[in-house]
Amino acid sequence: MLTKFETKSNRVKGLSFHSKRPWILASLHSGVIQLWDFRMGTLIDRFDEHDGPVRGVHFHMSQPLFVSGGDDYKIKVWNYKLHRCLFTLLGHLDYIRTVQFHHEHPWIVSASDDQTIRIWNWQSRTCISVLTGHNHYVMCASFHPKEDLVVSASLDQTVRVWDIGSLKKKTSSPVDDILRLSQMNSDLFGGVDVIVKYVLEGHDRGVNWAAFHPTLPLIVSGADDRQVKLWRMNDTKAWEVDTLRGHMNNVSCVMFHPKQDIIISNSEDKSIRVWDGTKRTGLQTFRREHDRFWILAVHPEMNVLAAGHDSGMIVFKLERERPAFAVSGDSLFYAKDRFLRYYDFLTQTESQALTIRRPGSTTLNQSPRTLSYSPTENAVLICSDVDGGSYELYVIPKDNIGRGDNLQEAKKGLGSSAIFVARNRFAVLDKGNNQVLIKNLKNEVVKKSGLPVTTDAIFYAGTGNLLCRSEDRVVIFDLQQRLVLGDLQTPFVRYVVWSNDMETVALLSKHTIVITNKKLVHQCTLHETIRVKSGAWDDNGVFIYTTLNHIKYCLPNGDSGIIRTLDVPIYITKVSGNTVFCLDRDGKNKTIVIDATEFIFKLSLLRKRYDQVMSMIRNSQLCGEAMIAYLQQKGFPEVALHFVKDEKTRFKLALESGNIQIAVASAKEIDDKDHWYRLGVEALRQGNAGIVEYAYQRTKNFERLSFLYLINGNLEKLSKMLKIAEVKNDVMGQFHNALYLGDIQERVKILENAGHLPLAYITASVHGLHDVAERLASQLGNDVPPLPEGKEPSLLMPPAPVTCGGDWPLLRVMKGIFDGGLDSIGRGAVDEEEEEEDAGGDWGEDLDVVDVDGLQNGDVTEILEYGEVAEENEEEGGWDLEDLELPPEVDTPKVSGGARSSIFVAPTPGMPVSQIWIQKSSLAAEHAAAGNFDTAMRLLNRQLGIRNFAPLKSMFLDLHTGSQSYLRAYSSVPVVSLAIERGWSESASPNVRCPPALVFNFSQLDEKLKAGYKATKAGKFTEGLRLFVSILHTIPLIVVESRREVDEVKELIIIAKEYVLGLQMELKRREMKDDPVRQQELAAYFTHCNLQMPHLRLALQNAMVVCSKAKNWATAGNFARRLLETNPTNENQAKAARQVLQAAERNMTDAVQLNYDFRNPFVTCGATYVPIYRGQKDVSCPYCTTRFVPSQEGQLCSVCDLAVVGADASGLLCSPSQIR
Amino acid sequence: MAAAAAPDHLFNLRNNLYLGSYQAAINNSDLPILSSEDAVERDCLVYRSYIALGSYQLVINEIDSSAATPLQAVKLLAQYLSNPHDKESIIASLKEWLADPAIGNNATLRLIAGIIFMHEEDYSEALKHTNAGGTMELHALNVQIFIKMHRSDYAEKQLRVMQQIDEDHTLTQLENAWLNLAVGGSKIQEAYLIFQDFSEKYPMTGLILNGKAVCCMHMGNFDEAETLLLEALNKDAKDPETLANLVVCSLHLGKSSSRFLSQLKLTHPEHILVKRASSAEDSFERAVQSVA
Repeated sequence: MLTKFETKSNRVKGLSFHSKRPWILASLHSGVIQLWDFRMGTLIDRFDEHDGPVRGVHFHMSQPLFVSGGDDYKIKVWNYKLHRCLFTLLGHLDYIRTVQFHHEHPWIVSASDDQTIRIWNWQSRTCISVLTGHNHYVMCASFHPKEDLVVSASLDQTVRVWDIGSLKKKTSSPVDDILRLSQMNSDLFGGVDVIVKYVLEGHDRGVNWAAFHPTLPLIVSGADDRQVKLWRMNDTKAWEVDTLRGHMNNVSCVMFHPKQDIIISNSEDKSIRVWDGTKRTGLQTFRREHDRFWILAVHPEMNVLAAGHDSGMIVFKLERERPAFAVSGDSLFYAKDRFLRYYDFLTQTESQALTIRRPGSTTLNQSPRTLSYSPTENAVLICSDVDGGSYELYVIPKDNIGRGDNLQEAKKGLGSSAIFVARNRFAVLDKGNNQVLIKNLKNEVVKKSGLPVTTDAIFYAGTGNLLCRSEDRVVIFDLQQRLVLGDLQTPFVRYVVWSNDMETVALLSKHTIVITNKKLVHQCTLHETIRVKSGAWDDNGVFIYTTLNHIKYCLPNGDSGIIRTLDVPIYITKVSGNTVFCLDRDGKNKTIVIDATEFIFKLSLLRKRYDQVMSMIRNSQLCGEAMIAYLQQKGFPEVALHFVKDEKTRFKLALESGNIQIAVASAKEIDDKDHWYRLGVEALRQGNAGIVEYAYQRTKNFERLSFLYLINGNLEKLSKMLKIAEVKNDVMGQFHNALYLGDIQERVKILENAGHLPLAYITASVHGLHDVAERLASQLGNDVPPLPEGKEPSLLMPPAPVTCGGDWPLLRVMKGIFDGGLDSIGRGAVDEEEEEEDAGGDWGEDLDVVDVDGLQNGDVTEILEYGEVAEENEEEGGWDLEDLELPPEVDTPKVSGGARSSIFVAPTPGMPVSQIWIQKSSLAAEHAAAGNFDTAMRLLNRQLGIRNFAPLKSMFLDLHTGSQSYLRAYSSVPVVSLAIERGWSESASPNVRCPPALVFNFSQLDEKLKAGYKATKAGKFTEGLRLFVSILHTIPLIVVESRREVDEVKELIIIAKEYVLGLQMELKRREMKDDPVRQQELAAYFTHCNLQMPHLRLALQNAMVVCSKAKNWATAGNFARRLLETNPTNENQAKAARQVLQAAERNMTDAVQLNYDFRNPFVTCGATYVPIYRGQKDVSCPYCTTRFVPSQEGQLCSVCDLAVVGADASGLLCSPSQIR
Repeated sequence: MAAAAAPDHLFNLRNNLYLGSYQAAINNSDLPILSSEDAVERDCLVYRSYIALGSYQLVINEIDSSAATPLQAVKLLAQYLSNPHDKESIIASLKEWLADPAIGNNATLRLIAGIIFMHEEDYSEALKHTNAGGTMELHALNVQIFIKMHRSDYAEKQLRVMQQIDEDHTLTQLENAWLNLAVGGSKIQEAYLIFQDFSEKYPMTGLILNGKAVCCMHMGNFDEAETLLLEALNKDAKDPETLANLVVCSLHLGKSSSRFLSQLKLTHPEHILVKRASSAEDSFERAVQSVA
C-alpha cells in the first residue's frame, strides 16, 4: 500500500471522492464534514451543521454539490462553491447511514436505521419513494452504476436488490412528481413502485455493506459474521458464489476495484484486505495498530482509494503507477504489463522486446520497479519487489527486437536494487550486509565490496561508480578504488537523472530537486509544494521536470518556472529540442511539444549569449509582467526595455538601465511632472545637462533651472531666467537670479520694487552704489538703517565660469549588444557572400599544344567509360603453381632453455602471422607485405616477366611497413607488433588468419586514373605520364577480390599503357622541334592510341594543327575529318576542323611524305615509335602488352619499365579468386 | 574476491602507470599515510613511470645503494635501458641477484628480469622468472611474452588465471584487449569495447587511443584510426607508437607517410618500425640480387 495522504481527526464514518478534482470529503463522528485536497494535503473547507455523527456523504458527479446524512435524521445537500447547505431533506425517523446521488437522475438514495431506504428527488426536494422490507437497521444502500437497481444491506442479515425501473418510468415527466406526492402515504406501506428483486440470505450476522460490481452482475457484501460474500445475479435470480474469510472482526465496508479484478474490504479488526476477484484469495493485508476501519471509497477515475478509521483517514494506492524505464541514447526500454517494450525516439515507434513474466502471476506491486540497460551487451536488469526485492537479467536477442514474443528464462537474484555499472558488470545491493555484489552477465559474483554508508538503494553514477542512497544523504562511491568521490546531505532521494554528458545530476526527492555536479558538489536546490515525478536534461543543460500537475524547467543557476500544466501525471523520458517524450501511467509513449522560448531565453541571458537573446526578442512573443520582473530582478533592465510597450514601465526601465534617450522619449509621451522630475534627477546624476535643463523646463521648475544654469556657468540663460522671473512677477526668483548673476544693481532694484527699501539701501551702500543709496536714503527718510560697524564688506560675486554650458563629460552608458545589436544583426550574412572568390583553375592556360584558345573546362569525371577498351588479354591456362619454391623460413632462434628450469618448460615460439601469410598465398603483394621480397619478386618474374624491380622498391617497402600495427603494451616492455589483416568482419572467427591488409587498393588506382585524365586534359603531360606509369607500377602489387575486378584491373593496364605510350610520344615530339616530319609522325601516332574522347579530340586537333602548319593538307584533312566525326562539343574545335577540312579539300596533297598510313591499321612500337602494321612481325611486353618491333626482344619494356619484352610469363595473378 | 578491505591508495597510481599516463602517475604520487610496504611500491611505480618517460638518469641518480630490493631492480632496468652498450654486465648482475635466494624471489625483481629478458628476446629466460606469477603484473607480463612468442594459446591460459584473480582489474582488461587483438577475428570488436570502456572511465591516454586506433585499423576502418591517432599525437607529439601507427595508417589511406616516418626516425631510431623498414630495404636489395 502506498499512502498518499493521511489525516488525523475524529472517527471518519463517510468518504467520497470528487470525480474530477483531487478532493475528498470526510464526514466525521463529531458532526463535521471536511473537504480535503489530498494531492496538496490541505483542508479546503469544513461544513459543520449536522448535529451528531455524519455517517454518509457523497459528491455529485457533475454539479458542485454534495449530500450528507447524519444521526440528526437529516439529509443535507450542500453547494461547496457557495460554502453552504442548500436545503435539508427530512423524513427519516432514525440515524441515516448512507446517502448517494444517482449518476443521472436528480435522485438521492438514503439508508436509515428506521429500516427504510428512501429515494429523494433533490430538485423537487421531495421523497419520491420509500423502500421498505428490511426488518432491522439498513446499513447501506446504493444505486447500480448503470442499471435501475439499488442494493442494500441490513442488520437483518440480508442483502436486498431493489428494482427501481418503475420509478424511472413514473418520473419521466417532472409534473408527475408532484402528483405522486399525494400518493406517498398509500405507497408507504406495500409500495408499488419499487419492488424487492432479490433477497440475498447467507450471512449469519448483520450485513454492514453491499456493493455492485461496476460492470458485471456481481454483488459483494460484508457482515458482522466477519465474512465477505460474493453474489451473482441474473434476470431471474441471485445466488451466493463464494465467501472470503480472513477478517477477524466485523467487516465494515467492502467494494470492487473499479479497474482491477480485486475486492477491497476493511473491518473493525483494524485491517484492510485485498482479495483476488477471480481466485478469491487474500492478496494483501494492511493493518493499523489501534484504529478500526469503518468506511472505504474508490476514486471513479484515478487509481486511488481511501479508508476511514477511528482517528482519521488515509488516501492510498494499491500499486505504483510509474512504469519502470531506462533510456539509452535514442532508445527507451520500459516495462508494460508483462512485456519489456522498446521505443525509438527518432522514429517514435515502439515494439515488444521481451516477455518478462509468465502470465497469471500478477500480484500486487510486483511489477518492475526500475530498469537498467547496457547498450553494448543489449542486456536489461529489471528490479522489482518480488521476494522482498529481486532482479531479473535478460539479454535481448538482437535480431528479435520487434517480435518479442519469446519467453526467455531470466537470470535472477535477490537484492533490493541492481544496476549496470559497466558494459558487462552490474552491481546488486545486499542490504543485509551493506555491501554490493558485482556480477557479470552470467550472474556470477565477480567481486564484493562493502559500502561506506548504510545504503538502501543504489543508482548509476558513471562507469564503475555507484550512487548510494541512505536516509538523508547520498554518496558516490568508486567501486575499484573503494573511495568516496562525493557526499551530499539531501532529502530522501527517489530518482536520479544524469545529464547527457554525465557532468551534472539531478537528485529527485518527494518535494525537492537537488542539482549537483558529478562529484556531488551542490549547485542548486528547488523546492516544490507538490510531488516531483520525473525529469530529464535537455540538450542545453536545462533540467525539465514534472510534478503531479506541471511541466517545469530548472536553469543551471536554480531559476525555475512552469512550462505548462498537466491533466494527468506523466514521466519524462527524454527531452529533445522542444519535444518532451514521456510515458503516462498506462505505459503509453507520448510526445509533448513545449514552448521552450522562455527558458531558452533565460538560459541565453544567463550564459550571456546576447546575440541569441536579441534574436529571440525580435522573433518571438516574449512579453508579460513576469518576464519583465524577471529581467529587472536579474539585472537586465535594458533587455526588459525591449519588451515593454507601456510607457511608464518603459520609463522606469530606461532609468534603471541608464538609457536616458529612451527615458526622454517616454517622458515626452507620459508628460507628467513626476516623470520629468525623475528624468531630471537621473540626467543630473549622469551629468547630462541638456536633458536636465529640458526636464526642468518641462516641469517649469525655475529654481532648479536657475541653479543649474549657475553651476553650468550659463550666464546668458541665467539672465533670461531673471527676465522670466520678472515677467512672472516672481520676486524671490528674480532676486535669486540676480544673486547668481552677481548683478547688484538689479538686486537693489528688485528689493526696492518689492518695497524692502532698507534692504535695498543697505545692499546699495555696502556694494558702493552710493548714488542709488543716497536716493534710497532720501526715500527712507528717517528710517535709514545703520550700516554694520566694524565689518569689512566684500563683494558677493559668483565665480566667473571657466567654461560655459554644454553637457559634462557624460558617463559612458554601455552601448551593449542590445543597442547596436537590434539593428546590425541582420547584416552580417550579406558580407560573407562577397568573399566568395573566383576560384579559377589556372590549369588550362599553359596548354601550348593547341593554338586554339579555350579548352573547355568540361567535367573530367564524366568520361570514365571502360566499355570501349577491347579486352585483349586472354588467359592462358595451366600455370604451374606447384613448383613455386617457398622455402619455409626456420630462422627463429632455437630455444635452448627448458633444461635450465626443471619445473617449467617454456613453450616453443609460435609461427608469426607473416609466415602464415606466405604459406597460404601466391600473390606477390602478400609476399611483399610479409617481408618476403625474395619470393615476391620470383612470383612477379614468373607471372609477368618482370625483371626491373627498382621502380617497385618503394611499393614493396610500403606494403611491408603497412602490414603491421604497433601496440604499446606494458610499460617499458618492448612494443608488440600485430599483423593487420584484410577483410575483417564481425563474424570472423579468432585465430584464423586472413591475408594481410595491403596499402594499395583498386580504388586508389581509380583515383589516380582520374587524376591522370585530368592532367592529360590540362596538357600537363609529364604529370600525366607520371601518374599513368605509377598505375602501371602499382598494378603488379594489387590484390582484388572478385573475378570481375580482375578483369577491371586488366582493362586498367591497357588504358594506362595506351596513355603512357601516347604521352611518351607526345613528350618526345616536343623535344624534336627541329624535325618537323618526325613531329608530324608522332602527333599522328598519338591519335591512334586508345584515348578518352576529349583527349582524342585534343590529340587530333594537335595533329591537325601540326600537319596543316607543315602544309601536309591531305593528312591534316584526315585528322580534321576524324575530329569532326567525334562531334566535338567545343565549337572552336569544330570550327578549326572545318576550316582545315576546307583548306584540305582545295589542296589534297602532302608537302612531305610521312611514315603514316591511316588507312592501314597499325600499332605503335613502344620503343622506337614506328607503326607496326597489321601482319608485320612484332613482340610484346608480357605485362603491359605493348607491342614492339622484333629487334626489341629481350630489352626492358620502355612503357612499363618493369618487364622484359618477349619474356615468358604466366599472366597477371591479382586475386585469390583466380587460384580457386 | 574478498570483501572490501581498506581503500586502495595506490590504485590510481597503478592505473595511471598501466594506462600510460606516466606524468599523471608522477604528479599524483604524493599520497598521505602509506605503510612502509606501500611506500616502496609507490616509489617503484613512480620510478617506473620516469623510466617509461625516458628519464633513466634521474632514476639511476635518485636510487642509492641502500634502497630496498624492488627499487634496486627498478634502477637496474633504468641502467639497462639507458645504456645499450653495456648490457652484458647489467644482465650479469641481474642473474646474480636472481640467483640470490634472499632476494631472488622478489616480485618486482622478477618482473624487471622478465622485462629485460624480453628486450633481449630471450623469452624462455624471461618466462623462467615470471611464469610462477604471484602478482597481477607478473601474470600480465607472461601474457605479453606469450603474445610476443605467437603463442596465444598460452597467453589465453595466463589471462584466464588473471580473470580468476580479478576480472575487472585494469591489467586483466588490458591484457584481454591485447590478446584479443593478437588473435584477431571477432575478438577485435571486443578489444575495441574494452578500450572504449577505458576511455569512458579514465582520462584518454596515448595508450588507450593507440589501442582503439589499432582496433580500428584491424577492422579496416583507417579513417577513424587516423582521427584517433591524430588525437593521440596532440597529446604527445613524440610518442613512438602513435607515429608508427600513423605511418601505417597513412599508407593505407594513400596519404604521404614520410613526415611521420622521418619524425619517428629522428626521435626513436631504435623503434621496431624503423628497424623493420631498414632491414626491409636491405632484404629488398638482396632479393633483387638473387632474382637478377
